[in-house]
Amino acid sequence: MKIKHAKPTIVEADMTPMIDMTFQLIAFFMIVTNFEQTQADERVKLPADKLARPPKVARENDIVLNVGFDRNELGQKISQEPGIFYGDQPIPIRDYFPRLKDEYTLAAKQFGEAEARKRTIVIRADGDVPTGLIQELIKLGQEAGFEKFALKAKSDDEAG
Amino acid sequence: MKFRKRETDTKVDIQMSAMIDIVFQLLIFFLLTLKIIPPEGDFNINMPIGAVANANDDIPPMDLKVKLEANPDGTLKQLYFGSRALGNDFPFCFERLNQDIAAIAGGQQGYSDDLEVELDPDYGLHYRYIVKAISACRGRIQGDQQVTYIEKIKFAPVDRPE
Repeated sequence: MKIKHAKPTIVEADMTPMIDMTFQLIAFFMIVTNFEQTQADERVKLPADKLARPPKVARENDIVLNVGFDRNELGQKISQEPGIFYGDQPIPIRDYFPRLKDEYTLAAKQFGEAEARKRTIVIRADGDVPTGLIQELIKLGQEAGFEKFALKAKSDDEAG
Repeated sequence: MKFRKRETDTKVDIQMSAMIDIVFQLLIFFLLTLKIIPPEGDFNINMPIGAVANANDDIPPMDLKVKLEANPDGTLKQLYFGSRALGNDFPFCFERLNQDIAAIAGGQQGYSDDLEVELDPDYGLHYRYIVKAISACRGRIQGDQQVTYIEKIKFAPVDRPE
């Protein structure tokens, strides 16, 4: 009896649909990824409001100050003393004046006094921060030479 | 003359593995760097030092005062618009403030530049109430559009407790 020898066959998987899908996923993540909000600190729990809308024209050279409490991974407060996050450690708000003054002096040298005054100080403050400290921060900003301030809030209103 | 035998069609195999490697690396990069952050908006506050921004105006802006009193734990104790107490039932007291502001500013379409609100919060009041107060004074959302009542909002001088 004659036995037929089957030739070994190479099975080629069709990769085209997988590559299509992968490219679509990459395109999706590229669009969704927002590299602009890199100055936002996750420890700050912003209050939410419906009326808070992103500015129509994106501001240039603004100074973002994240004011909040040191929190653990679960989001619970570690310290009750709020500070401005500059790197890892929060700096007490009343000690922040020299840095604001440096920012203003640097901007005045680079762009001129008028342009330096137009720079906006964007305050991203935690909902639990005492308002008096925010007022003091604005006052320090005024004393450093700045005139424009913006208070950040989440755009939705579900969190109340 | 001898003709060469016609060459048969050859299938060109493109090396896909290198491209797939890179594509997967890109995919993993974007997956890891993705941070789902809700969109943020902001409220502008103009506070030039000395508060003499309207020194050249013939008619000074009408000053509306909103006072927010705080409990020792930082929650809202009482909200006042002028001398009128609006309660502390968050968030409804801010809706009442919004209605009062609308009654003054809402009817004057295009004249809200003449009005200025001064917010006077207690030192220890939580910041979230101030955002609500600014929002109530700024305007309201009608459908998808924002109706602006008052653009000029400022803070009263800070009153630091001893």
